[in-house]
Amino acid sequence: MMLLRLAWRNIWRNRRRSLIILTSVVVGLIAIVFIEAVVRGFMRQSLDNQLGTHTAHIQVHRMGYHDNPAIDRFIARPEVVDAALAADARIAASSRRVLATGLLSSARNSSGIMLVGIEPEREARVTIIQRSIVAGRNLGLEPREILISERMSRTLDVGLGDKVVAMSSTREGKVGSELFRVVGLFRTSIMEFDRVHAYIPHATAQSLIGAGAEAAEFAMVLHATTDLNAVRDSLRVVLGPEYEVQSYEDLIPTMAAMVELTERSMIIYYVILGLAMIFGIINTMMMSVYERIRELGVLKAVGMQDRMLFWMVLLEAAMLGTVGTSVGLVLGNALNAWIAVSGLNFSWFSEGLSSWGTGAIIYPVLDPLGSVRGGLLIVAMCVLAALQPALKAVRLHPMDAIRHL
Amino acid sequence: MTIPILQAEALEKTYHDNGVPVRALVPIDVAFDQGEFTVIAGPSGSGKTTLLNLLGALDAPTGGRVLFNGRPLEGLSKTELSKLRLHQFGFIFQAYNLIPVFTAVENIEFVLTLQGVAERDRRRRALEVMKELDIEALAHKRPNQMSGGQQQRVAIGRAIATNPAIILADEPTANLDSATGGVLLDLMTHMNQEHGITFLFSSHDPQVIERGRRVIRLHDGRIERDDRRPGA
Ligand SMILES: Nc1ncnc2c1ncn2[C@@H]1O[C@H](COP(=O)(O)OP(=O)(O)OP(=O)(O)O)[C@@H](O)[C@H]1O
Ligand SMILES: [Mg+2]
Repeated sequence: MMLLRLAWRNIWRNRRRSLIILTSVVVGLIAIVFIEAVVRGFMRQSLDNQLGTHTAHIQVHRMGYHDNPAIDRFIARPEVVDAALAADARIAASSRRVLATGLLSSARNSSGIMLVGIEPEREARVTIIQRSIVAGRNLGLEPREILISERMSRTLDVGLGDKVVAMSSTREGKVGSELFRVVGLFRTSIMEFDRVHAYIPHATAQSLIGAGAEAAEFAMVLHATTDLNAVRDSLRVVLGPEYEVQSYEDLIPTMAAMVELTERSMIIYYVILGLAMIFGIINTMMMSVYERIRELGVLKAVGMQDRMLFWMVLLEAAMLGTVGTSVGLVLGNALNAWIAVSGLNFSWFSEGLSSWGTGAIIYPVLDPLGSVRGGLLIVAMCVLAALQPALKAVRLHPMDAIRHL
Repeated sequence: MTIPILQAEALEKTYHDNGVPVRALVPIDVAFDQGEFTVIAGPSGSGKTTLLNLLGALDAPTGGRVLFNGRPLEGLSKTELSKLRLHQFGFIFQAYNLIPVFTAVENIEFVLTLQGVAERDRRRRALEVMKELDIEALAHKRPNQMSGGQQQRVAIGRAIATNPAIILADEPTANLDSATGGVLLDLMTHMNQEHGITFLFSSHDPQVIERGRRVIRLHDGRIERDDRRPGA
């Protein structure tokens, strides 16, 4: 207890020097906690947008669909899949889709298209398309309505209420075509997605390509992503080998891996800061040991054990580290919490971000627990840095030290 | 015959100053008994500090040995020597005895902490000693708020608080004016006479030297004279 008091007061002896090292720890931590949160926000948003726009958590296709996404590889009995999904309480919502590539034309222009046949209400519970509508409305009950992206509306030079023609090949290899009225325009943060996707009613899509009652895919979201693999695996068992059940990690492996890798490697930022800190701490503690040589000699002379002296120096470094780290963590997380409210607007960064699919505004994602873990690492590194000065103190000869002036 | 508290047998110390040997102590034989009040006198460079450091287990001799209560110190580990100093010796140095970040009472408490005295007894014992030395008023002052004489009195308090077998003081009055030094000596004499605490201190100040009941005069590392004044 007295040793704690001694160590604590010792670090405040040279207030200026301690404040300098503390400030560097604090500023370093604020920066890292902040950068970490922005990077995490960036990665999460980019993944969330990808999942939220289309991929969702788990998808079901007929086995072989990915190799050749043709109509005869559609799911013949979607009701079987629907029943299996309804039976699993871990699934929050699911949507079934018809997918067809084709051409979308206006009076003035045309563009390649990926038509997505959806049941609007079900799709709204799985993806953010309904929430991404910037003009007009979502698909309703009318069979000849189409929801296109704002970008597509510019390409085709059409607006709300205008007519467009969609063409796609049918099961028999003929060309099916249908006239649609634009009822809504959407805009997601993924430029590439907006470039090709358009939504039409599920039944209309089926009849356009002659798919009968079949569906191309099911997409579903879970209550908790921690169940991801468990749900996937149990669906595989329930549905059998005729179906292919994939989690988003299977569907977009590079992106999923990158997000995970980024989050796991956050600790590296702390290690780098810690390494930078080490030299400051070594220097500070060395100076403070040198300044106290005589006093340390007296302590040794009156019977303070080397072991205790050693701990005293380490304790001083640990206290410096702990104070700096705590203040840094509190301020850093507070800054994040404050910025997370309105997000960081990166629109000045031009289109650059939109190809990442994050949106122009990045919301830092706090991970207080993770930052505490990082902070502990820094404290540990401070203690490590004090080893040499502590050994120096221990090696002092009491007599030489007392003579020293 | 009783065993002396501290004893030097053919004690020798040669320093090496940049390779040049400096004989600070030629073989010395001397013993100190319980209750003595001894001053080691001698001019600068005569070996007073060297002798006290060897007797106080702060330094190792280059020849001969030191015995504490008849037990030789040679062969004791650093830790054992440290414990010996903590429990058996009290030290008062010429200056800068106290830990600057601790108040007077904390300075005294600290050595008791090192001894493992329980927190409650620690504070009581420290205040008791301060009362005995009449320095209670200084209890909550830090060293930089005290005069040199006050600091030395607190240092005496720290030295006696642990109930050591002997107190070793290397020129405790050297940094004080003669009046203040006199007060300090009064205090040491009082502790010696009332409580039988054994003191061994050094000085080259005649006024201080004449207060010793036993005076050992060193010159060039050897004992020139060893006088006892039973009446003093
Ligand atoms: N660490 C050392 N290295 C080399 N020589 C030393 C060392 N310490 C002391 N000496 C020498 O040993 C001799 C005795 O020194 P010591 O300090 O014991 O004398 P002293 O009587 O205490 O002197 P003072 O009154 O000046 O304190 C001196 O010649 C001194 O120069
Ligand atoms: Mg000396």
